[in-house]
Amino acid sequence: MYKRIFFHSLLSGILAALACIIYYRIYFFATEADFSKVLNTFSMTGYSIIICLIAGFIYWAIVKWIKRRGEIVFNFLFSILSFAAVIIPISVSLPLDIQFPELFPGLAVPMVFFPVIAWYTVQPLFIRATAK
Amino acid sequence: MKKFIFPLTAIIIIAASAFTVIKSQDWKIADNYSVKFDGGDPSGQFSGLKGTVSFDPNDLAGSKFDVSIDVATINTGNGMKNTHAKSAMWFDAEKYPTIHFASSSFTKTASGYEVKGTLDMHGVQKEITIPFTFNNNVFAGSFQVSRLDYNINSAEPNHGASTFKVDLSVPVTK
Repeated sequence: MYKRIFFHSLLSGILAALACIIYYRIYFFATEADFSKVLNTFSMTGYSIIICLIAGFIYWAIVKWIKRRGEIVFNFLFSILSFAAVIIPISVSLPLDIQFPELFPGLAVPMVFFPVIAWYTVQPLFIRATAK
Repeated sequence: MKKFIFPLTAIIIIAASAFTVIKSQDWKIADNYSVKFDGGDPSGQFSGLKGTVSFDPNDLAGSKFDVSIDVATINTGNGMKNTHAKSAMWFDAEKYPTIHFASSSFTKTASGYEVKGTLDMHGVQKEITIPFTFNNNVFAGSFQVSRLDYNINSAEPNHGASTFKVDLSVPVTK
């Protein structure tokens, strides 16, 4: 079962990373605010894949622990944690040489939701296999 | 010979008096200056430093600093904190748009120099002394300032830091 969950996590991570990269490009085009010192292609890809792999591990543990309602519990947990993580880009202090730090939440807050959105997007591809 | 004494004396006096009106060296503030403040949380920096810097180590009496900083340029690295810092609760950048320092006297110390002057911040003027060095055309100084002395959010003395260390590094060009 974990093999399926692993691929679910990996695919979610790659999809989330892709969404982050595309959104970063659009945001830069719109605002010309450069946050490449704290967010770049490598860091966005890394964060997205790591978050989804950790989510996959937690999913595996929860489904193993609460067999019937594990998926519901995990979905709630992932959504709540994603929402709570909004506070991170809002409260973080950037290096002082970065201009327009007030534009950073506009970039990073939506990105916080990309892993959970990607997870739910690809879930139908794996849900039957996991249920088995 | 006697008839030359008075004209010669006059020439010497005129020549000597020329040195009394020599101004201290005027310096132009270079772009890569930094005005940083550190209160733990928050910490940050100001940009928008401008003014006249006239300094000659050999003519401290004729030296003069008259500089100001645009309060709206405060940067703590966090947009939310920047907005708060500029609000009426803190610096009130709309009502007090600049922080101004005007020197009154300079003294030579063992490690460098000291400048006394008036710091005008948030509508309050206070006499302060800033120790500084001047090496390789860079003014560097550090001093402490209490926001409560300047009535900056004095209603909440324990909200964040009350005393800040200010570090200045101001390269200048001729």
